[in-house]
Amino acid sequence: MIEMTSSTTATTDKLVASDVDVYYGTFKAIKDASLAMKARQVTALIGPSGCGKSTFLRALDRMHDLTPGARVTGTILLDGEDIYGSDADPVVIRHRIGMVFQRPNPFPKTIFENVVYGPRIHGERNRHVLTETAERALRAAALWDEVKDRLSRSALDLSGGQQQRLCIARAIALNPEVLLMDEPASALDPIATSKIEDLIVELKTQYTVVIVTHSMQQAARISDDTAFFHLGEIVEVGPTSQIFTHPKEKRTEDYITGRFG
Amino acid sequence: MAGVSATVPVRRVTASGSVRSRRAADAIATIVLWAMASSIIVMLAAFVIYMVYLGWSALTPAFIFGMPQETTAGGGVGPEIYNSFYILILTLIFTVPIAVAAGVYLQEYEHAGRFRTIVQFSAESLATIPSVVMGLFGLLVFVYLFKWHFTALGGALTLTLLNLPALMRVTQEALASVPDTLREASMGLGGTKWQTITRVVLPSAIGRLTTGIVLIAGRIFGETAALIFTAGLSVPFNNPYSLNPFRPAETLAVHLWYTHSESIVPDVARIGNGSALVLLIMVLLFNVSARIVGRQLTKRFTGRAE
Repeated sequence: MIEMTSSTTATTDKLVASDVDVYYGTFKAIKDASLAMKARQVTALIGPSGCGKSTFLRALDRMHDLTPGARVTGTILLDGEDIYGSDADPVVIRHRIGMVFQRPNPFPKTIFENVVYGPRIHGERNRHVLTETAERALRAAALWDEVKDRLSRSALDLSGGQQQRLCIARAIALNPEVLLMDEPASALDPIATSKIEDLIVELKTQYTVVIVTHSMQQAARISDDTAFFHLGEIVEVGPTSQIFTHPKEKRTEDYITGRFG
Repeated sequence: MAGVSATVPVRRVTASGSVRSRRAADAIATIVLWAMASSIIVMLAAFVIYMVYLGWSALTPAFIFGMPQETTAGGGVGPEIYNSFYILILTLIFTVPIAVAAGVYLQEYEHAGRFRTIVQFSAESLATIPSVVMGLFGLLVFVYLFKWHFTALGGALTLTLLNLPALMRVTQEALASVPDTLREASMGLGGTKWQTITRVVLPSAIGRLTTGIVLIAGRIFGETAALIFTAGLSVPFNNPYSLNPFRPAETLAVHLWYTHSESIVPDVARIGNGSALVLLIMVLLFNVSARIVGRQLTKRFTGRAE
């Protein structure tokens, strides 16, 4: 077991990645990435396309386990426990760390069955509990008023923005401690996007949020900390206001001012 | 941009020479392709109408439910229709679990690797074996080696060998049609692989899977060569609707062949045309119901039609 350093335990770091490398076969997609993500804060991962920010995010949920040939080294501590430790179980980890994907991916089931899918697979059978969970999650995802009269309709009949909020509801129905979001608004129109952004700001009162975004405006609007990725490395990490106003690294400044990416 | 437009020469919106000839080629291609596609409808319709014309008068209750005759006129096909369904169900009982399980394994567990290659190669090789050869294999194994003689079970097991590859492929294709994003969603919520397969992947694939199974059922229903040597050319006269799998079980399709090639009854044409029409109607019913059932199941399991 790797002990955390005192500097990281002193703050309320929820998720701490240290020297993380991610390989696809022999290709090293992430190099020595270290990042502390604070509890009940929004951490934004920004950078040009292909910089590895999504790859890094997926490592935080052990989603690379599902990709043949992908390999992760280094440590990622969730409340001080290594999620890649030999006795760590991905099923438990993904219960505690939820993921919202780039494209809305509701199950081809009813709205209700989508939201209660997580509780169901983790053994909840009580109809009353499931109904309450569904309402709570849908309210938290700001979708309840739009769907409360059609919970037994197919989730595929919802609009893209509604589907994405349904996916967020589905993730938070499990009461995760961390919510990972991979460009959750990139497939949505501006109105749906602003709803999702409001929602994220709302959600951070309860959850630790890590969001990948290609939109620097979005990162500036909703995040507390920002990490800038370039060519598989974390170039700079800091409070969002500082990253956007006084970046320390030349590459960060070039990216933020639109000189590349 | 605005400043440049003044120097652009006047251009019209009507077609001139080369555009006109390209348009003509376009129109001809559309007509030819349409005609080819339509010819399929015409061929099917002509075939069905001709079969109905020939066989319609034979379709009496006495024919559909009656016993076959060996030497005299007026024989029916009741036991043969029963046997066709009996062998079909036996075959599906063996084929569906094996093929679906193998398909799920290859598609969901073994994305690459030597084992997958070997299974795929075996299935493809099995699929290329002509049904008459498979029938001879069944004859040697079930009839002679196991000393079962001609049995419904021997016929069903031979048909199982014959149809396993196709059904495995159907399963794989049905599973492949389920987007990976759904698997990710389920795994991302802490689902195990098995939960993901049983709760998301299979329900999403059930419509296509069922359609595939019913279409293959139609093929099994009409299979002849593999059954002549294995299920035999006779029905037990003392108990023609027996559930015993260890007895000869001539099916409708086999009866059609038998009547025309071996039989000495005087009304061969009537029995042949009637059998062919019954067979045709059954197989068409399989095809139509495959689509209806598939759509219903998709709707039931996913809350929405495909």
